[in-house]
Amino acid sequence: MKIRFLLPLAVALCFSAQLLAMPKNSNQLSDPRVRQAIAYAIDMDTIQETLLEGKAIVADSHIPNGPFKKPGLPKYSYDPDKARQLLKEANWDSSQELDMVYYYSDQLTVDLMTAIQAYLSDVGVKMNFRKLEGDVGAQLWTAPKDPQNGPSAVKWDLAYGAHGPLALQEYFSRYKTGEMSISPADAKLDGMIDVLTSTADIDAQKKIFFEMEDYIQNELFTLPLYYQQAFIYESNKLNRNGQIYGNPQYNYDWDIAKWTVEPDASGKMVMNTNTGPTEFFDHPWFNPGLFITNKVLHDRLITCDGGLAPTRPKMAKYYNLSKDAKTLIFELRDGLQWHDGSVITAEEIEWNIELALKVPNIMPIFKTTFSYLEGAKAFMDGSASNISGIAVSGNKITLSFAQVDPNVLLTFSQWAPLPRKYLEDVDPAKFQQHPFWQNPIGSGPYKVKEVKMNDYLVMVPFENYHEGVARIDEIVAYPSNDNDANLVKNALARKLDYGFTKNVADVKSLEEMDHMRVYPADIPYTRMIWFNKYAKN
Amino acid sequence: MFIYFTRRLLYLIPMLLGISFLIYLGLELTPGDILSYLLPPEAIADMKPEELAAMREALGLNDPFIIRYIYWLGGILQGDFGYSLASGVPISQLVLERVPATLELSVAALLFSTFLGVILGSISALRRGSLLDNSLTIFGMIGVSIPEFIFGLSALVIFALQLEWLPVGKRLMPGYDSYWDHMPHLVMPAMVLGLIMTAGVMRYTRSSMLDSLNKEFIRTARSKGIPEWRINFIHGLRVALIPVVVLIGFRLPMLIGGTVIIEQVFQWPGIGNLFVNAVRGQNYPLVMMISFLSVTAVLFASFLIDLLTALLDPRIKLE
Repeated sequence: MKIRFLLPLAVALCFSAQLLAMPKNSNQLSDPRVRQAIAYAIDMDTIQETLLEGKAIVADSHIPNGPFKKPGLPKYSYDPDKARQLLKEANWDSSQELDMVYYYSDQLTVDLMTAIQAYLSDVGVKMNFRKLEGDVGAQLWTAPKDPQNGPSAVKWDLAYGAHGPLALQEYFSRYKTGEMSISPADAKLDGMIDVLTSTADIDAQKKIFFEMEDYIQNELFTLPLYYQQAFIYESNKLNRNGQIYGNPQYNYDWDIAKWTVEPDASGKMVMNTNTGPTEFFDHPWFNPGLFITNKVLHDRLITCDGGLAPTRPKMAKYYNLSKDAKTLIFELRDGLQWHDGSVITAEEIEWNIELALKVPNIMPIFKTTFSYLEGAKAFMDGSASNISGIAVSGNKITLSFAQVDPNVLLTFSQWAPLPRKYLEDVDPAKFQQHPFWQNPIGSGPYKVKEVKMNDYLVMVPFENYHEGVARIDEIVAYPSNDNDANLVKNALARKLDYGFTKNVADVKSLEEMDHMRVYPADIPYTRMIWFNKYAKN
Repeated sequence: MFIYFTRRLLYLIPMLLGISFLIYLGLELTPGDILSYLLPPEAIADMKPEELAAMREALGLNDPFIIRYIYWLGGILQGDFGYSLASGVPISQLVLERVPATLELSVAALLFSTFLGVILGSISALRRGSLLDNSLTIFGMIGVSIPEFIFGLSALVIFALQLEWLPVGKRLMPGYDSYWDHMPHLVMPAMVLGLIMTAGVMRYTRSSMLDSLNKEFIRTARSKGIPEWRINFIHGLRVALIPVVVLIGFRLPMLIGGTVIIEQVFQWPGIGNLFVNAVRGQNYPLVMMISFLSVTAVLFASFLIDLLTALLDPRIKLE
């Protein structure tokens, strides 16, 4: 009896295992064994120690270490013999030359590509690499017209890049059928993504995250290489007075208003930093925390801890998310002001959300949250003049969502409202080009005192900030982008008191300076190789 | 003569048009666009094609190349220099904000290099074949061959970081009230740029001086018993300086766009810095305008030098 049931089961299991290990189409990269062989062929531990100078963590999943990462995921540690064996089993055509693309301009990427090329060559896989120029997005992610059978709408076989999402769901939601250029339709994955993006329940999220990580890492949809760290640097003049460290790329409850700096000869506390504007202030709806200006000039409705988990209200007196996660209520604090002294109203928050929906270059997670509001679709297509899911009464704002967004609170911990009166005439498609971004008015603990574009920016405490006046007298920000080319020389000249970088060479130099401290921060930022698994034309 | 100069002036128009078209074409052929600069690659990778298309449309990037060129040229003819694609700020404002910084650096470097180059070149000519002449020749060769950034970074390490005599870079700092406050910031970039240019002036002065010292009028002066220092510096150097002045005259407009590397090394917020950022960002209206201004400056300088040379030297006949 038992044998009668077990035998077909065993046959079915073997058959399905066999099916899993089969190529899905004429592209050999659709065969998981080939992808696994590539993973086994690359010695990431050596790359981490040498090229990355120990300043990264070898990855074994998209999601970095933390509560949402499943323990015991399959690792593909360096094993060239196993790689060769898998390639042999998959009948790898050694005359094939893989085309690897990337979009970074730095030397480290070229060195990494060269190393990977050598590792692959060692197991009999030829690979050439090239930098993508022009419309990178279209060249990387144009999905095929037929997401089931292809053919591929992109030209490459392997792509090296990074994903540093604000919300962990974003790591996987992009794998949904039809969204990406790399994976033929997968009903199982689609089902998991639907669950992942529609629950706000932490336990349910964790469960589905674990399932997805297991599935994706076993099938090796994408090869995660390493988790990049951010390195916060501070001079020994700076004192955070017990305030926390966290993900420096975003906003968290760091309470800069309580920070102090050793006073200069005149008794003034001046903090020097970088990421000041060169030609304009980057708007905070796209990069909410990458630049010091967006961190301190603008306030948020709620705040979060260093790991970006929402913790407490900020501009809001309180907030309440309903049990079904479909209604969010904020009540603004009384007497909230913009830097010009005018009052911040709940109607302005409504207007801001409506504008944000029309601005093309805003953070995807913000757009997702706002587009889930009831009536957002009608507002976007022009059939409604307002979003019906936003109701304002006095200082109270009620947001009603048509579908659950697990990251709704995260959005409001990063998204900054802006003063309506200065932006009323803005063309959403040219949002960044509006004159407002030459000298913005915000609501954060610091306000602009003087800006000499491309020379310096001076910010001083906002006297009516709702959490008290900040203690540092002046923040002077010198112009740079987030990868400051002058970081080391300015730090040596003691013209930098705070900042962060991901540049490994700069970190090594900073660590050698007696007057600087460096703190590594684990951030969700995973470097990976995407496999194009569609059949080619 | 009037007809000659009017004709020369009119020649500038097709030259400017041709050069502007070539620059525009060159920029068009470069891969990428302003969005690749405004948005990080990961963000572009995440955005939907229709969102990117809307941004391109709003920035006027979807028009064909030739239409955009005609619009741009039409704007220039009406005095409208256009707007930076990155910030929306009028280009005239951006250029005017940065021209003083570049002029300040260029003029300081030019004065320094001229002063030093003429003195050293004259000494070299007067001590021809001596150890001093050979040493100065070697110095000149070194000056010409060392890349600007190595020279600049070495000066930074020695004078700003080790000796702490001069600031590490930048031009203006908060709290500077008068024009002279930022002079310490000018010293190092001006001297580095000036020293690099000195070699050329020195070599030019030397050969011109040698040529001049072999002329008949010098022999006549000597036969009259005029003191040697007067022969060398009043008679000889004055004549020798004419070609040197032409060289220097050409250098100033070229410096407007030629201080790029020094501005990068010393964080000097001039036209060079603006130009580099504009090229990186495929901010074509800004690149076009800066290139156009540099080319115009060089062409006009060449025109003015022709004019001056003709007025000063009666041997030049104009037809």
